[in-house]
Amino acid sequence: MSDDSRRRILARIRGIGGGRDAASIERELAALGAAPGAPAPDEDPVTSFMCNVLRNHGSVDIAADRRAAVEAVGRYLYRELRSHRLVAGNDPHLAAMPWRDGGVLPRFGTLENGEQAALSYAPWGIAETGATVLVTGRYSPSSNHLLPVHHLVLVESANILPDLEAFWQRSELPRGKRPRGISFVAGPSSTGDIEAKLVYGAHGPQAWHVIVMGEVAPDALQRANELAGRAAQSIPQDA
Amino acid sequence: MNAQDPEHYSFIDAAQRALGDPAAVAQRDMLARVTPQLRERAVAGFGEFEALRQHLRRVRQHTLDNLDYYLPRFELEATHNGNRVHYAETARDLNGIVLDICREHGARRVAKGKSMVTEETELTASLEREGLHVVETDLGEYIVQLAGEKPAHIVGPARHKSIAQIRELFLAAHKLGERKLERAEDLVAEARQVMREHFLGAEVGIIGANALIAENGYSMLVTNEGNGDLCASLPKVLIVCTTLDRLLPRATDAAALQRLLVRSATGQDQTCYTSFYSGPRRAADADGPLETHIVLLDNHRSDILDSDYRDMLQCIRCGACLNHCPIFAAAGGHAYGSVYPGPMGSVLAPLLDSLETYAELPNACTSCGRCEEVCPAAIPLPDLLRDLRHDQQRAGITPQRWRRGMRLHAWLAGQPRLYHWLTARGIGLLNWLGRRRGAFRRLPFAGGWTGERDFPAPQRGTFMQQYRALQREVPDDE
Ligand code: SF4
Repeated sequence: MSDDSRRRILARIRGIGGGRDAASIERELAALGAAPGAPAPDEDPVTSFMCNVLRNHGSVDIAADRRAAVEAVGRYLYRELRSHRLVAGNDPHLAAMPWRDGGVLPRFGTLENGEQAALSYAPWGIAETGATVLVTGRYSPSSNHLLPVHHLVLVESANILPDLEAFWQRSELPRGKRPRGISFVAGPSSTGDIEAKLVYGAHGPQAWHVIVMGEVAPDALQRANELAGRAAQSIPQDA
Repeated sequence: MNAQDPEHYSFIDAAQRALGDPAAVAQRDMLARVTPQLRERAVAGFGEFEALRQHLRRVRQHTLDNLDYYLPRFELEATHNGNRVHYAETARDLNGIVLDICREHGARRVAKGKSMVTEETELTASLEREGLHVVETDLGEYIVQLAGEKPAHIVGPARHKSIAQIRELFLAAHKLGERKLERAEDLVAEARQVMREHFLGAEVGIIGANALIAENGYSMLVTNEGNGDLCASLPKVLIVCTTLDRLLPRATDAAALQRLLVRSATGQDQTCYTSFYSGPRRAADADGPLETHIVLLDNHRSDILDSDYRDMLQCIRCGACLNHCPIFAAAGGHAYGSVYPGPMGSVLAPLLDSLETYAELPNACTSCGRCEEVCPAAIPLPDLLRDLRHDQQRAGITPQRWRRGMRLHAWLAGQPRLYHWLTARGIGLLNWLGRRRGAFRRLPFAGGWTGERDFPAPQRGTFMQQYRALQREVPDDE
């Protein structure tokens, strides 16, 4: 059934289409130019990123190096869960952290139902949207960002890109090298489906904590907080 | 397209019933006030929104003009990514393809994400008839599934339900003993608990797509709850149900769509999850489905592509036209009798089904133009609705009384002197009769109007009389 349908649908589309050659189509597309992006809250992309994470109802911490990052994870876990337990993907970036220094007890692997907190390593952050980019693979199971109650993400300040285009232009995705999933995670899971009231933890995390590791301007986090304070809430429903 | 019974369906009757429920009317009024404000704020914050809108319109126009290039390209890339790509000409075909895949895997449980395409084909009911247990995992969809209803809005399916109604549905459906369930938080927590078990047990996940990217074969999914991502990641088989008109050439075009869609749909700058899926899990992946299918539905879209209604294929399903439509606010989504309500539904439903079945919808319009103003795809919805009315008139679907009336009006409009003379007399008479109350409680031939509200008496002469008087008063500068 599907093969015949395919033939008929493609024949109809061909009958309607211009039947033009690929080069002229690509030329026409390139001539359409680029889309404008959202205005950045700050000149510094890292400050903009942190501001947008806060606007997306996340929380932010900064860490100068790996040791400080581990301590930041430990602080968060103790504050929120009175625990030191954590699940982390087998990512080499995470495996090489000095976990003992922060008193954190990570289990490397995929989150099991019932485990509360998971840490992901985000290869990129997007300043424009305040999103952390997670790429599924051997080291980053999607369960770790979709199922925990608390989702922690580590992103390096040097890997924060200004906008969505910068991510796509940088990511070469040739055949055979395309990850199964690329997720822009920008907030704890939420719903406005009940009388338009915003509730977190719809299916996935109730809390989303982003740790920015590396060089960050001294007053950047404070400034991000101030800028985010001006933003108000809106109703999320599935677009 | 839908379980609508064309013999007995009447928009007017359904709208009348909807207006009879004061609590529901108040809820719709609140949403009609709040949702435009949210969009307005997000659009204003973006700055160059109009440039973004026009850019994406050109890109989508280009894509539709060259669908014969982009569709095979997408198919090729998606196949290379490890998907099986299926084509469905009709709703029934799509349901059949999905059922076959489920059967092939001996599936009994299906976790379904939000997808208007599968609402259009009534996939859930069709799978359930074959004994599958299908759970809608988007909270709004889940609520309407429990209520045995259709979504009332393409973005917020359960916006019409009160918290008390949802509580009753949950208490009846979930056997979880005594509990309070007073706040929205309690209801969300319960849904999370019930749904989590289903996600972990489902053999098949079904999702829709907000875009298909020709250059790399990825599909884009935009959500806040993350349920679609769970459907795409936990079950061992994933089926993406979508349509030909979701195609975009490049990933950067999907980024532009993301900006436009979210601000128009919910007034957010960014949803919690924007995900791109290419296919089944890779050899070393820690998780993900083992098999993925993409089902591309036509269901008259290629006919629309070949018609004067091609612009409608630019719709990105944001729901902004619904949120800004006075008819939608008054009548509610269910009155339309189609899974696509509001202005976009009034155009789409007759095109996807028939002008006869949805004869009233192109007329459910005040021509206020708000929908076109806010539509991120810049679709000339009022023009398309007017064209549909013309088509109805030509096809003799418009009731004879209306056709006669319109013929009479057309004839009169062609006789300017007579027209002006008659309207001047009519207005003069109304003016004189209404001089004391300033309005009429009853008027011959206008019972439809005066049944619900007073008809204001004209204050002065006709437009032309006032125009001439003004011209006499204001000296010409030139
Ligand atoms: S017609 Fe325009 S406003 Fe309405 S849902 Fe489609 S894109 Fe949105």
